[in-house]
Amino acid sequence: MIEVLPESAGSGTGSGALLEVENLHVEFHTRTGVAKAVNGVTYSVDAGETLAVLGESGSGKSVTAQTIMGILDIPPGKIAGGAIRFRGVDLLKLPEDERRKIRGEGIAMIFQDALSALNPVFPVGWQIAEMFRIHRGMSRADAKKKAIELMDRVRIPAAKDRVNDFPHQFSGGMRQRIMIAMSIALDPEVLIADEPTTALDVTVQAQIMELLAELQRDSNMGLILITHDLGVVADVADKIAVMYGGRIVENAPVHELYRNPTHPYTKGLLESIPRVDLKGQELYAIKGMPPNLLQMPTGCAFHPRCPYKQEKCVSEVPPLHTISGTRSSACHFWREVLDGDAQ
Amino acid sequence: MGRYAIRRLLQLIPVLLGTTFLINFMVWQLPGDPFAARCGQRACPDSYISAMREQFALDQPILVQYWHFLKNLLSGDLGVNFNQVSVATQLADAWPITIRLALMAVAFEAIVGIAAGVLSGLKRGGFLDNVITISTLLMLSLPVFVTGFILQWLLGVQLQWINPTVSPEAPLSELVIPAFVLASLNLAFTARLTRTSIVENRRSDYVRTAIAKGMTNKRVVAVHLLRNSLIPALTFLGTEVGSLMSGAIVTEGIFNIHGIGGLLFSAINNQDFTIVVPVTSLLVLIYLVTNLLVDLLYGVLDPRIRYE
Amino acid sequence: MSEANEKTRSLWHDTWDILKRRKIFWISLVLLVLFLVMAAFPTLFTHKDPEFAELARSMEPPSKDAWFGFDLQGRDVYARTIYGARTSIIVGTLATLGTVLLGGVAGVIAAYRGRWIDSLLSRVGEMFLGVPYVLGAIIILGTVAPVQSNPTKTMIMGVVIIVLAVLGWPVLMRIARSAVIQAKHQDYVQAARALGAGPFRIIFKHLLPNSLAPILVYSTITIGSYIGAEATLSLLGIGLRSPVISWGIAIADHTRYIRTGAHAMLFPAAFLSLCVLTFVMLGEAVRDALDPKLR
Repeated sequence: MIEVLPESAGSGTGSGALLEVENLHVEFHTRTGVAKAVNGVTYSVDAGETLAVLGESGSGKSVTAQTIMGILDIPPGKIAGGAIRFRGVDLLKLPEDERRKIRGEGIAMIFQDALSALNPVFPVGWQIAEMFRIHRGMSRADAKKKAIELMDRVRIPAAKDRVNDFPHQFSGGMRQRIMIAMSIALDPEVLIADEPTTALDVTVQAQIMELLAELQRDSNMGLILITHDLGVVADVADKIAVMYGGRIVENAPVHELYRNPTHPYTKGLLESIPRVDLKGQELYAIKGMPPNLLQMPTGCAFHPRCPYKQEKCVSEVPPLHTISGTRSSACHFWREVLDGDAQ
Repeated sequence: MGRYAIRRLLQLIPVLLGTTFLINFMVWQLPGDPFAARCGQRACPDSYISAMREQFALDQPILVQYWHFLKNLLSGDLGVNFNQVSVATQLADAWPITIRLALMAVAFEAIVGIAAGVLSGLKRGGFLDNVITISTLLMLSLPVFVTGFILQWLLGVQLQWINPTVSPEAPLSELVIPAFVLASLNLAFTARLTRTSIVENRRSDYVRTAIAKGMTNKRVVAVHLLRNSLIPALTFLGTEVGSLMSGAIVTEGIFNIHGIGGLLFSAINNQDFTIVVPVTSLLVLIYLVTNLLVDLLYGVLDPRIRYE
Repeated sequence: MSEANEKTRSLWHDTWDILKRRKIFWISLVLLVLFLVMAAFPTLFTHKDPEFAELARSMEPPSKDAWFGFDLQGRDVYARTIYGARTSIIVGTLATLGTVLLGGVAGVIAAYRGRWIDSLLSRVGEMFLGVPYVLGAIIILGTVAPVQSNPTKTMIMGVVIIVLAVLGWPVLMRIARSAVIQAKHQDYVQAARALGAGPFRIIFKHLLPNSLAPILVYSTITIGSYIGAEATLSLLGIGLRSPVISWGIAIADHTRYIRTGAHAMLFPAAFLSLCVLTFVMLGEAVRDALDPKLR
């Protein structure tokens, strides 16, 4: 397994993974000030690997994904530094035309709300077939056949009859399947799924996650799964990057993270999951509000909400401490968190 | 959709009956003497008055009168004016010219208006956007007749590029400037509507998806963005076909075009009202039918619309 | 204080924040004040009598002592153009006021009562919308106006004002209707209803404040377009006529002299256009500021 790079291992060669994000900085320039939405994020994913990026809204997890994809609105967004390497080539330095060819072919993305992400005035089959027609130059008829095959593959019942239906004629789960079919059309090497199940019912959520895991196994894609829901990722992810206030605060293989979190934020998240064995007890909730990106707290962004807070946390930004080969934590007091000694 | 169309068609009937009844009532019933000041400067000849009274059954109760009016309208017998000129003949001569003018105006609105709106929406805040925004604001503010007189004075009198007035045959080439004048108001509206929807849809999720799919910038705009953004502009153009007729009265008056508008223009000046009732009735019918067609077209353009 | 009031207040506050940064808003505001002063105190701008005619100077072009020249009757075009502002603004404003009252009341009733009253009012509105307004004006003015043989200035203007309002109300009814329907389904209105507030209380305390913004924007733009419409009707010879002084009449009187003496027509036309532009610009500036989507 590839090691998650700590922030300090900044410039240079990189790890040689399939897709690497290195020390990425993204800002939004608004009337009221500059919001540093992504503030030095580094992560990587390899073929066949699933990276879960976990964080609440505003943590920068979606902005990072949009920057990888090249669909960030510029302006107001601005890439202030860093590199995104796909097969060793920095995407941020590529001319737009070459970058475009990678979208869909090399890296594909599925979005949270398939209803608004699919074009309302074109049939779903047409929208899937468009991938083959534009990237591969296929004829309309061949592309449509391929679209039906894909719809079958993501298990849309009676795909042949529904290929000419419009997005609004499908249920939420079916729409997300169409979105998935469209994204895997050209066998991309990396698939980014931005909150793919958030808009769906719980039972449908599980089906979609299963489908994604299965597709990934079959084609050996690298999968970046962006979510705010710890419960969703446990069964699918290999490793997790937890984001807070535009930074990565913890990196860990999934099972180690669940067993022994090393950052108070992760710990808080884990404790706020309802558990059957603790039935009857009061559910833990992280107190306070997510940080305002325009007025970030000094030092560690999490300190106003942190039970381990010390003076050092207010004055000093914690670096990403390497704990072991595959683990790191951006907490001055990660040892105390690991031992479970809240102050 | 078929059933919806039929129901909408049935709904047209009471509106149409109501409007024509009202128009008929106002023209023939409301004034104490319907022939006072109706024949230009002179008093109406007695023969004309008695002929009209008979044809429109002006001595009968109002519903009988209305029945006569409907019967006349449907059979195409629209009577004669006080100079014994057949109203039906006048209309038949004038329609083709007005239709030519109106179609040309609609073409201007659609082509120039949408193109300007798309350009200004795509380059929002740029130089071209500012130029288009200011010129559409001016076009919206200038009453049609001011635009007409200015162009007539500038192009016809000062520069002598065009004939200030249009010849009776009204060939297409002479109708270009009048059609532009007629189109100006709706053209400006179309441009703005298109601009707004381009600006709004540009940030929409499905446009972002199209970019993420690796589509070229050209295709994202021309296929994904445009198709959605044209819907409001096209429906607007459809519903405003009726309002073109208001403009046509003024435009045809200015450029001396012998169309329906010109006919009405001179009819008002000569205080000849026989022509007003049938023309208005026809225009109302056109307005209602185009509105219905637009509604149905809307369903074709936007598959999300469901007819209930 | 009700939640509706609080919401409206912050809406106006935000709008003002945006408006005060827009150049176009300030330009149109300055022009508006200028036209209003012109309408209220024409003597501030000219000391000449707009009625004084000297036939010998008929159609004289602009000169140093008569900036805009003389018209067909030998009257000072500048003085008549200044005095024309009053007519246009009175007609535009009163006709808009009438439209808002007629359409607003109809819209609130249609939306609030719903059912058959709604569909009846909607159908009647369609009937009025189906007749192009110039044609509608021709019919009304052609049948009603000739009845009076020797009308006063007030009567001439009154008839035009009424005609504009009668033909214009359906658009406003639609705006008011949809605004009220939208507000009606808001939770706080539902709550007020559940608490037993009567229809008048609900309409005045909750629904009107919400409908105010779109109606105000539409009204401002409508004043502009009614000023244009008045001029159009006057041009056709069915709107205002002498002894009223108006830009439309001045244009109408000189259309035949476009080849020889365009000045008598172009100056009133320029003032007319600028005045219409002022109201349209102001209305649009406010609308853009109110619309969060365009921010």
